[in-house]
Amino acid sequence: MLAEDYNLPKQTHEIFSVMARGNFISSNGTRDGMNRLYDIINNPENFDRLQAYFNVIRYNIERGNNFFYFSKLHEANSELEKKLERFERYIDIIDLFASMDNKITIGSRFRPGEIAEECNANVRLKQKLQKIPLYRSETLHNKVREICDLMSRDSYLELEDEKTESYKVLDSYTYLLDVINSVAIYEDSSNTDNAQGLIYN
Amino acid sequence: MENCRILNRIVEINISNVKYADIELSGNTCFVGTNNFGKTSLQRAILFFYSANSRGLGISASQKPFEEHYFRYENSYIIYEIATEDKPFFVIVYRHNKIVFRFVDAAFDPDLFFTANDDAMKIKDIIANMEKRGIYISNQIDTFERYRNIIFGTETDKQLSKFHLLKGNEKYQNIPKSITNVFLSSKSSVDSRFIKDFIANSLTTENSSIKLEQVERQLRQFNEKYSDIETYLKKESQQLIELIDKKYDQVHMLKGAQMEMADKLGSSLRFAESQNEAIREAAKKKEEELDLLSAEHETIKEQLEGKSNDIREEIGYYDRTIREANKKLKEYKEKNIDAAVEKNNEREKLQVELNIARREYESLTSNVASIELKYSSLIEQLRNDKSAYVNKINSRTSEIFNHYNELQLLQKNEFNKRDAELKQKREEGIGEVNAEVTSKQIEFNELKSEEKVIRTTRFYEQEIKSLENELAELRAVNYKNKSERAIKQNMVVTIQREWEALETKLKASLNNRVNQTNNEIIKIKNEIKDIEGKLNVQHDAFYGFLEKNVKNWHQTIGKVVNEKLLFRTDISPELKQETADSLYGISLNLEPVEIVSKSIEEYQFEKNERMAQIRDLEEALNLFQTANNEEKMLAADKFGKQLGELKEDVKVLSYSLELAEKREQKLGHELEDWSSRAGKEVEQSLSGNRQRLNIIEEELAILTKKKNLLINDFTTQFDKLKAYNEERLAELKERQESEVSELEVEKKNQVKEFENKEEELGKEKDSNFKSKGVDAKQLKNVETRMKELQEALKEIEQYAQIISDYLKDKRETFDRLPDLIQKKDEFVKTNNDLHAQLEETTRKFNMKRMELNKQKRAFDEELIDFNNGINFYSNNFRETPVYTKYSDIIERAESKRTNYHIMDLCTQLLKNDSHFNEEYGAFQRYVNEFAGKFRIENHFNFVIRNDASQGEYERFAQNLRSFINENKIELSIAETATQIGLVTDSIATKVKELSGQKDKIQHIIGLIAEDFKKAEFEESKLIEFIKIRLEESDNKVYRLLKRIQEFREENGLVYNEGLFNTDFATGQKREISTRAVKLLEQLRTAIKEQEQEEIRLQDLFELKFNIKEGMNETGWTHKIDSIGSTGTDILVKAIIYITLLHVFIKESSHRSSKDFKVHCIIDEVGQISAHYLRELLRFAKNRNIMMINGLPNKSGLESHYKYTYQFRREENNNVRIFPSIVTEVEA
Repeated sequence: MLAEDYNLPKQTHEIFSVMARGNFISSNGTRDGMNRLYDIINNPENFDRLQAYFNVIRYNIERGNNFFYFSKLHEANSELEKKLERFERYIDIIDLFASMDNKITIGSRFRPGEIAEECNANVRLKQKLQKIPLYRSETLHNKVREICDLMSRDSYLELEDEKTESYKVLDSYTYLLDVINSVAIYEDSSNTDNAQGLIYN
Repeated sequence: MENCRILNRIVEINISNVKYADIELSGNTCFVGTNNFGKTSLQRAILFFYSANSRGLGISASQKPFEEHYFRYENSYIIYEIATEDKPFFVIVYRHNKIVFRFVDAAFDPDLFFTANDDAMKIKDIIANMEKRGIYISNQIDTFERYRNIIFGTETDKQLSKFHLLKGNEKYQNIPKSITNVFLSSKSSVDSRFIKDFIANSLTTENSSIKLEQVERQLRQFNEKYSDIETYLKKESQQLIELIDKKYDQVHMLKGAQMEMADKLGSSLRFAESQNEAIREAAKKKEEELDLLSAEHETIKEQLEGKSNDIREEIGYYDRTIREANKKLKEYKEKNIDAAVEKNNEREKLQVELNIARREYESLTSNVASIELKYSSLIEQLRNDKSAYVNKINSRTSEIFNHYNELQLLQKNEFNKRDAELKQKREEGIGEVNAEVTSKQIEFNELKSEEKVIRTTRFYEQEIKSLENELAELRAVNYKNKSERAIKQNMVVTIQREWEALETKLKASLNNRVNQTNNEIIKIKNEIKDIEGKLNVQHDAFYGFLEKNVKNWHQTIGKVVNEKLLFRTDISPELKQETADSLYGISLNLEPVEIVSKSIEEYQFEKNERMAQIRDLEEALNLFQTANNEEKMLAADKFGKQLGELKEDVKVLSYSLELAEKREQKLGHELEDWSSRAGKEVEQSLSGNRQRLNIIEEELAILTKKKNLLINDFTTQFDKLKAYNEERLAELKERQESEVSELEVEKKNQVKEFENKEEELGKEKDSNFKSKGVDAKQLKNVETRMKELQEALKEIEQYAQIISDYLKDKRETFDRLPDLIQKKDEFVKTNNDLHAQLEETTRKFNMKRMELNKQKRAFDEELIDFNNGINFYSNNFRETPVYTKYSDIIERAESKRTNYHIMDLCTQLLKNDSHFNEEYGAFQRYVNEFAGKFRIENHFNFVIRNDASQGEYERFAQNLRSFINENKIELSIAETATQIGLVTDSIATKVKELSGQKDKIQHIIGLIAEDFKKAEFEESKLIEFIKIRLEESDNKVYRLLKRIQEFREENGLVYNEGLFNTDFATGQKREISTRAVKLLEQLRTAIKEQEQEEIRLQDLFELKFNIKEGMNETGWTHKIDSIGSTGTDILVKAIIYITLLHVFIKESSHRSSKDFKVHCIIDEVGQISAHYLRELLRFAKNRNIMMINGLPNKSGLESHYKYTYQFRREENNNVRIFPSIVTEVEA
């Protein structure tokens, strides 16, 4: 069956190329016409057609609160594990973001410099930022930049203005929060070294 | 000298590094010199003669500008000498701040410019010199435009109009443009794009392109606004707005409540701090008052109790007296005292009767006195014996009687003693119990009165009263606010109606205007069409024939011919000489007749005029629409503001009502609370009382029971004692009676013996009396009567003592008994009064004591409360962020008593703050999410920084509220709708203007093609043909622009009402608007993708060539990289340029102006072969064009030019230009 048979919108390819990379399409994203793509998927007629079309290639469009993403039908456990591992590193980032005086929520606009500044002025935040693994940047500012860069690549943030280095939090951030919130941390009493484990539910 | 006008010579004086050069240009001229010697500079100076535009000479930005480079000195001049049909004239170009021109009516003469020392003179000296010589020199020409007008023969000033090179028409600008373009084209390949540019540039001015950057900006602005509005109208955004609005209210309310509470806390703290000592003092004072009160009460109580005791003693005395009197009276009554007294009253009478009887008896016995005496003595003796015996017996009886009586008395005494003892014990017991009961009863009464006091006391009266007052005030304000809100709501409805009516009116007027304008435009368009029809056919029509063949036909035929006839193509006009000046052979004097025919220019003018009319109409419509929109906006501003204010007022009122309602509820609850607390307090106090009362009642019951038991016990003991006593008495009485009866029997028997003996003596006496004659019977009767009387007296005598006692008692006691009872009653009453007085005093005392205790307790409690509060505040509140947040309010609050505890206020503030933080967090999230939906530079200014303060967030919500209340979205929609109209209109106008010139292109291309055909290539067979043709443009942006223009034509100006999915967006309008938006979006994308700066005339069409050179044919192509050798390419290029130049000169000059030549400046023709060069020069010459070329060195080619000049750099770096001595081979 051809794509034309589904009477698909023109932007189907564009939608696929974004979401197949594991990225989200958020309603408040403006770069590369993301909000337009959102509106197109959000149109009930389009949604049904796109869903039917993508299901053929074993993708399922998932609807979040003002964002869309792909899930794979019958995904291998190893893939799932990899995905979960990806979220692990976000725990500390979200923790940091949630501890800021000016909480970072959906639609918030900020510059990495502002966060770095706040971290610099607050020992607790500084420790949190320094604790975040994966990054080797020497200065706090660069570390925050790397975090923002990572989150932009994963389409949780959007670099709104390159000149001022201003980021905007996208609707897909909810997904991250939901996943992180559904992580239950337990302490293994039998283990003496207080190792922590994760349960994803 | 040639008999035509031509730039004859150029003279440079102190120009750049040329001190002086005089170059003749009246034929083909060639400059020979190596690079950087100033060939191009000189050519530019020649070009400047034609173009008079210092910026279009191909000087790069890195080089010095024309003015700086050429006119370095005060006495730098370029002189252009123009040959005419008679005498030449020249133009001086010099710098006077800017470049200026002067025309001189004379041939160039160096003497006019140089002093005797060969120094160039200053301009004023030159002018003076010329004036001195009587040579005409024009005023200074300040503008390039005016200079061109003069040179190209369109100057109206008669003095200057003769200084023309040629007579140009309205398109004369094409001539300098063409010459410039030829000079500036340096590419060797022939590209149709270049030719296109050449043609287009020649036809257009710099401003006649569509600047895509500008269009893109307009589109971006529109698109951004559109997308902002679209985002705003989204369901999610609307939901967020509602949430923000709601949360803002909540947050505001909470904040208000917190501030109020903080103020209360501050007031309470200040109050507590200031009142601490005062309360301590007050509590102490109350204690003293209590002590004083107790002391006073004790004194009064003692006084009253003392009085009461005295009175009780009195009562006891009277009571005893009365009781004893009653007892005696009872005893007397038992002894039948009344009968005894009655009998006693008869005693005297009986005594009299006895004395009478005795005297009667003495009188009767006076005769027989001895006998009588004997018997009387015997009888008396006997009687005495009898009496003695009786007495003895009586005495014994009495002895026994007395003995037993004594025993009985003893017994009675014993009984009485025991009885008294028992009674005393009983009294004591009962007394004790009674005392206890009395004390309990007193206590009970006290409690009862206390209960009464409690019941009548209103606890927390002050608080309740203040709450009631507050509630009443609040309700009054509520009532006022409600009515005010109703009024404002009505006003909102009225204003909304007014607004809607105005909008409908504006809309209707706009529609009318649009329709009217469209009709007018259609009418004018038809007229234009008519004119265009005429212009299109004029070549082939009678008009064209006349133009070509009849000179000044407008003055002759033009005055009499029918206009319709002029544009007929089917009348085949022929020129017959014999009737040329007559009408069918009839000569007419047409001088006074007006010309009816119009020139092509006039038709063109009419067409332009109509087009201008359309533009004016559209402009007027645009203005009207703008004015309409402005009016709409003004109305929106006016009504919106009013509505906004009113709605805000309504909201504020609703909010205050809501607050008031909550406050009312709260106050109601507080009132209930206080009432219930008061009730509880009463209940608590009462329950304490009741408990005590119950206990006392129980105790009283126990005491009553105890009393009853005691009484019963004593009653049993009394009964036993009585029974024993009665038994003993009965026994004694029995013994007494038996002994007495024994004695009585003995006495009776003995008395009977005495009576018998007496009777015998009586009988002996009677018999003796009888014997002596005494009436014994009468005597006997007297005796009997005496006896009876004595008996009666004796009986009376027996009670005499009792009666005497009775009478004494009666006199002393019984008769006073009522007085005693009355007195006792009086005392009892007095005692009761005292009791009541004591009770009242006690009650009052208790009440007062209770009140004072309560007050003292209240002070103590308040003090404790204050201290606890201050401690809590210092330990648990002072260091929290909540304090920091409200410290201003807390610290500035006035000292005031509040109904709240400091501790409660602190706790509540802390609790509320956490709630406030939660709510505020949600509020911030909603604001962030909402603002995040928009672009950072959205035109609504819905932007919030991440580190925005609370105030900024609140202002955001307020602005959003105003935005909604003032219905600014409608304004924005209206603006955007206008903008889409303006954008499409602007695009359509620009496209129309630009594509209007497409016809000219078509015309020019036709002429060029024609000219190519005419080219005499056959002779040399070098080039067989050069063909040119036009094709539709494949420029995507232009195509879209065109589509927008068509769309605009199709749908008129106003199609923007359905831009958004609002109420008035209906069917077709919405569809049209959607199409418009889509088109604009496509255009924007295309502009972005194409990265083109502007759409020029050349983008409107495609130009293709087909050239055949020898056996080589290029076929229809845009670009001919290589036709043959480089020389061939240069030749073809030059041919094409010359053709273009020729066509433009022909098109742009007046038909009457034919005798002139212009120059074609093409640099670097060194690679062309001599053969080709000759061909080229001839090709140019045939078109009245002189060539000016540059050659790097002498190669023999220079021999084909009329003038050849060489360039040499001197030692002082000056360049010398001097003529080369060559012979022109062929020209």
